[in-house]
Amino acid sequence: MKDLAVRLAALDADAGAALRVIAYFDNLVEARAGLTSIVRGAAMLADCPARLVDEQRRVRVRVTQRGESAWADGPPDPAWLSIAAGPAILTLEKPGPPGPVGAMILERAAGAAKAVLDRTRGHAPAPDPASVELVVDAAASPDVRRQAARRLGLDPAGTATAVALETGPQVFAGPPPPFPGRAGIGPAVPVPELPSSWAAARTALRFAADGTDEDPGPTVVHHADLGALALLADLGDQSSLPDVRALDRTAAAAPWMPATLQAVADAISLRAAASALHVHHSTLQDRIAHAEHLLGWTVRDPHGRLRLQLALALRRLHRHP
Amino acid sequence: MTLSVAATPPPFDPELGAALAAVAETNPPPLTADLIPALRADSPMVRATEEELRRDGRFTVEERLVPGLDGDPDISLLICRPTAPKGVLGCVYHTHGGGMIIGDNRTGVPDMLDWAEEFDLVVVSVEYRLAPETPHPGPVHDCYAGLLWTAGHADELGFDPDRLLVAGGSAGGGLAAALALMARDRGGPALRGQVLICPMLDDRNDTPSAIQMAGLGVWDRTANDTGWTALLGDARGGPDVSPYAAPARATDLSGLPPAFIDVGSAETFRDEDVAYATRIWQAGGVAELHVWPGAFHGFDGMVPQAALSQEAKAARVRWLRRLLDA
Repeated sequence: MKDLAVRLAALDADAGAALRVIAYFDNLVEARAGLTSIVRGAAMLADCPARLVDEQRRVRVRVTQRGESAWADGPPDPAWLSIAAGPAILTLEKPGPPGPVGAMILERAAGAAKAVLDRTRGHAPAPDPASVELVVDAAASPDVRRQAARRLGLDPAGTATAVALETGPQVFAGPPPPFPGRAGIGPAVPVPELPSSWAAARTALRFAADGTDEDPGPTVVHHADLGALALLADLGDQSSLPDVRALDRTAAAAPWMPATLQAVADAISLRAAASALHVHHSTLQDRIAHAEHLLGWTVRDPHGRLRLQLALALRRLHRHP
Repeated sequence: MTLSVAATPPPFDPELGAALAAVAETNPPPLTADLIPALRADSPMVRATEEELRRDGRFTVEERLVPGLDGDPDISLLICRPTAPKGVLGCVYHTHGGGMIIGDNRTGVPDMLDWAEEFDLVVVSVEYRLAPETPHPGPVHDCYAGLLWTAGHADELGFDPDRLLVAGGSAGGGLAAALALMARDRGGPALRGQVLICPMLDDRNDTPSAIQMAGLGVWDRTANDTGWTALLGDARGGPDVSPYAAPARATDLSGLPPAFIDVGSAETFRDEDVAYATRIWQAGGVAELHVWPGAFHGFDGMVPQAALSQEAKAARVRWLRRLLDA
């Protein structure tokens, strides 16, 4: 008998093919088919390997167009077609554009997969602030933290990353997603050691800027990138330090001053700083002269830049106690 | 105790049922005799090309005209021979499916070539005449004539005659079963085994599964009636049907070569195929039976990717390995 993919391929130009795709996945859902069947259906109908990955719920399924389960390591090709299925990603291992039938396969398979994931693996861990607070709480007993980890769907034998946001802690089994606001990111650690990742994340958060004119700089800071700068966080209030007060003077003098000094501190050269600030090189030279007058030291030699960087770090720590 | 058959049929396997829904054949239009020409014109069977049969040179392919039985017209055999066998060659003699009314000697051959590559087999597939133009016994006589010729030319074809088996699916499964009966009754040829894939065995068409699955799935009771009536005419279901036409009519199933029988639980042929295996055992014979839950007729051909299809194909290969390695 002609196989299904052959029959559908013959209909590809036809709107009927899309209807058949819909019928296929509707029937899988109605018959309560499992995830592998859904991914296999996508692979079979699209005639290419398909994969479903949900790191949060530890789901990894890959099926070839011949219907065989075969996981392949290595990252997905960015050119491949993919779509979100709740927190999971469904990918067809072929480049776009998908065409009307391909798009329908993606959409319907993702919908079916999401329904199965929600039914069988529980909804993606809903925010459970109390458990998150416990799992990062160094004062909680290891048993209590292990139970909290389980409630959060974390494997107590696996690793996780604590993230400090202004609203409190978050914990991720895989790499943390992008954050829109300030975030400090701790190292990935064994789940029982999450309090240490949380402590590091809180330190990193203090180095995260608001990203405003008043407080320019990176809004997401990884503790691992801080190096010895992290030690500054333990110094207590340094707002009366002369270099920090000098920075405050510059900020009071002109609204462009904090961003200018941050750019000078961060950029590899003054030319690069001018480019980052979208100002002409000579404009930047004038502004730096103004700033140096208020600071009382030059920021154009290595020592002066280090002094500026330390002062900026201390000022930010003071702003974010 | 009264046995009753629930009108509710077994549910289709999720993947297989979804595939049926996708090709809108969960409830097929009834296949009646007047539709046979249209069915032949737009055949659901795949006809492998010469190039596909050659498999990048791993097989030589020829069509050979051989004499029919007792003065019947010549028949054509498709012969595919491995070009680089790893060991002693065997032979699978193949009778194609198609309800006795459609198909040709390339139908189903790719599955035979898969086995041939695995087990070093010559594939011989017979172009028997179809019903209703050729009623019983024409089709099965053609098949038997081709089998006799094949066994008689083992040397020329290069296979060990101890490694000759018959195989077929659907109507071809029924024909393969009939060949095993004829070979037993007519003194040969000796067969190593018979592979009966969802075979069409019983013209009476009145088992609980035939009734349960009426109007559902693939090759339902109406289609089955059409196929059998094409072959047997008014004799279908009557008292005088030959076991060589409908092997379920055989009263003696002893002395047959080992049988492999598989069938879906959601198809017309379920009960007649299960009964055939059971009666082989009751006759002291050797049979292996697989009933795939929720599978419709010909599921592994139509949805080869489905989990159940892969299992069914693998089960046949495992049986062949035991049969041929013994």
